[in-house]
Amino acid sequence: MLKKIEIQLNIFTLLLCLLSSSVSISALAATTNIAAASDLKFALEELALSFEKQSGQTLALTFGSSGTFATQIRHGAPFQLFLSADEDYVLKLHADGYTLDQGILYAVGRIALLAPASSPLILDSELKGLAALMQQGKLQRFAIANPKHAPYGQRAQEALQHAGLWQDIQPKLIFGENVSQAAQFAVSGSAEGGIVALSLTKSPQMAKLGHYAVIPAEWHTPLKQRMVLLKGVDATAQAFYAYLQQPTARAVLRRYGFTLPGESE
Amino acid sequence: MDWTALWLSLQLGFMTILLLIPAALFGARWLAYRRFTGKPLLEALLAVPLVLPPTVMGYYLLVVLGAQSPVGHWIMHWTGQPLVFHFSGLLIASLIVNIPFAVQPMQRAFEAIPQDIRDAAACCGMSSWRALLNVELPLAWPGVLTAMVLSFAHTLGEFGVVLMVGGSLPGETRTIAISIYDRVQALDFDSAGQMSLILLVFSAAVLALANGLSGRFGRSHG
Amino acid sequence: MADLRLQIRQTRPIPLSVDLECATGHLLALVGPSGSGKSTLLRMIAGLSRPQSGYIACGGQVWFDNNNHMTPQQRRTGYVPQHYGLFPHMSALENVKAGLHHLATSEQLKRAREWLARMHLDGLQQRKPAELSGGQQQRVALARALASDPSILLLDEPFSAVDSSTREKLYSELAELKRQLLIPIIMVTHDLNEALLLADHMTLINHGHTLQSGVPRDIMAHPCNEAAAQLVGMHNLFDGEIIEHDAVQSCTRLRLGAHVLDSPYRPQLTPGTSVRWAIPDNGVRFRAISRAESVNSHNRLEVMVSKLLTLGDEVRLSMQIGSVSAPLLANIPLRLATELNLAAGQHTAVVLRAGDIHIFANHE
Repeated sequence: MLKKIEIQLNIFTLLLCLLSSSVSISALAATTNIAAASDLKFALEELALSFEKQSGQTLALTFGSSGTFATQIRHGAPFQLFLSADEDYVLKLHADGYTLDQGILYAVGRIALLAPASSPLILDSELKGLAALMQQGKLQRFAIANPKHAPYGQRAQEALQHAGLWQDIQPKLIFGENVSQAAQFAVSGSAEGGIVALSLTKSPQMAKLGHYAVIPAEWHTPLKQRMVLLKGVDATAQAFYAYLQQPTARAVLRRYGFTLPGESE
Repeated sequence: MDWTALWLSLQLGFMTILLLIPAALFGARWLAYRRFTGKPLLEALLAVPLVLPPTVMGYYLLVVLGAQSPVGHWIMHWTGQPLVFHFSGLLIASLIVNIPFAVQPMQRAFEAIPQDIRDAAACCGMSSWRALLNVELPLAWPGVLTAMVLSFAHTLGEFGVVLMVGGSLPGETRTIAISIYDRVQALDFDSAGQMSLILLVFSAAVLALANGLSGRFGRSHG
Repeated sequence: MADLRLQIRQTRPIPLSVDLECATGHLLALVGPSGSGKSTLLRMIAGLSRPQSGYIACGGQVWFDNNNHMTPQQRRTGYVPQHYGLFPHMSALENVKAGLHHLATSEQLKRAREWLARMHLDGLQQRKPAELSGGQQQRVALARALASDPSILLLDEPFSAVDSSTREKLYSELAELKRQLLIPIIMVTHDLNEALLLADHMTLINHGHTLQSGVPRDIMAHPCNEAAAQLVGMHNLFDGEIIEHDAVQSCTRLRLGAHVLDSPYRPQLTPGTSVRWAIPDNGVRFRAISRAESVNSHNRLEVMVSKLLTLGDEVRLSMQIGSVSAPLLANIPLRLATELNLAAGQHTAVVLRAGDIHIFANHE
């Protein structure tokens, strides 16, 4: 008898959920989905907030590595705006017909050496402190984003190669899925430090946890960050795309350590 | 605390058991009562998701159902949106991945029904359906409950597959497990810790409830 | 004419070659060792298992033949499985009602209560099977099987799980039921006593083959071959040779080793042929001997006790007849063994009662 009541209750609950989820799915068809490289984590959240306040429209942000997003978009991920950390991904997508146009350069990124407060690593722009730590044998682990699909990881590799440290540091490297995760590894104490996006180190959260030193731009190929609207874009995405090119938005990006196109450092 | 993500996970869990349990019940019953050559092979096949790395499952789903595949194209044509990076894609992945969690407990429960009882039910003139409702389910219901609970709990925790075919879209595919991962990356440990604790307590509570129910009522049959 | 007729031939999954008949109101016992296929046969009659080939008909209705297999639900059999198969989550009353869903609810209740009363289960209606004794469970199972007015009753080792005093009571009840019901009853058992007490007919089955069918008493006295003899409990099996037939004395003479034995007159057996023969336990007589006399009885044999085992009030003897290799086995009461001063190594004499010697027609 109890079993019958159980069954009835369950069926009722499940139907209710079915109903509500079908409602939510159709509502979500109208969401503006934005794919953004992880280095924009804090900067873009700030920008999105002010856009939403100003326009009254909502944005759904997803952060990750640019390479992963490029693949997902090819498989039909429903993003409407893609902010890549490397313009190569955007240009290739455009060549393959996934985008409205070639997009626009919105910022130039920089990399920085990051270490948590407790680390023995001495921070300097030339990575001499890092070299010294390695020679002393005190470097256990060093975090960078995965060079295979994260632009900031590739640039980290280039910088380390430039400093002549790449060969020796290889066995100590831990890879983040994207540059955010690399930063999290770097400050969480699981590593003595890492090379991550400058924009991440400029955020208030990060400032509490560690210190950084900017790495010279000549040590790696430039991080030309390009954004592009994708096929199936809606009005909100277009509005945001325009918003990001406004002076107010550019000011925010500057604050996070980005160089704006057309300006020098 | 990402309530959208939690709600999404709960929806995924409920819909998975709504769709999977009835089908798995009849499948499990069929397997329990039949013997045939190739049965071990079929059972092994159904158990594959237990040992398959979730990323492998995600990979194959992407390849088979993604926008670049024939199936994906067909679905795009008929519904205007792909399965991957949508709740429906997660649901399909969840249904497949939970097959062993749904089938095995129920199969064991049906197998445990003594042959004498099933024979007697048939000779009492009970049709297969009547026997299921009046005799078999009252005896096998702990297995059905276990299947529901395990599938639900497993769905809440799904990560690898969701990551591969989901895309972490808020409100669509960003389940609570993905959300926790996101929060950790954003150094928001408070939020991540909160959600993890909720998941832990929820899972433990559901399991305890299921065990308690099946223990209390299971015992009344002796 | 609600008889059961059955003929089954199959090689897989277990080999079966069986012919059976059971008339209305009669009880047929299926006797055989475990694994002989008797439970399978019962399930085939119930429709729970499909034979490879053959036919099963009851009351003129063909339940199974090569084109057709009626389901258990269609056949309306009363089946009592070996462990009763009572539904553990239902009370006794609900169990009995379970087979009556084709009737109106009020009728279901009425019939179920009637049958429970008939089986002397008043007051136990609400109890679950776990709260009933073995004998009570058996009666509920019977009530359930019979409440739906079946055309045949099938019992699978119905008394194997109950203690002996309950068993005695149940025998009487079943015998009484048999008189009242007018349907064939088929009972699987490995207990010969049960078969003797309850069955009108008996069929011996071994390795899926019918060995012998007939009235129990006849089979016990005249098993058709060695396998049958062993099944009915005859352990004394010997080789022999037909010497001659004596029409005047109406006996056939048989050689056993160095001895000559009288046996029932069987002129069809050719003198000189080797045969196998058996004698039941009670054909081996000790009392015909008294120490003072040297009575020249027929079939008197000098034997030596090779083994003696005392079990309570009974003594089990294994004796050697001269140079014959096969032992002569007998069970006798303790007081007789004491009277005759029997011990291992002791010599004594026995008489094999001529009428109990049973020669097998075929050498099997």
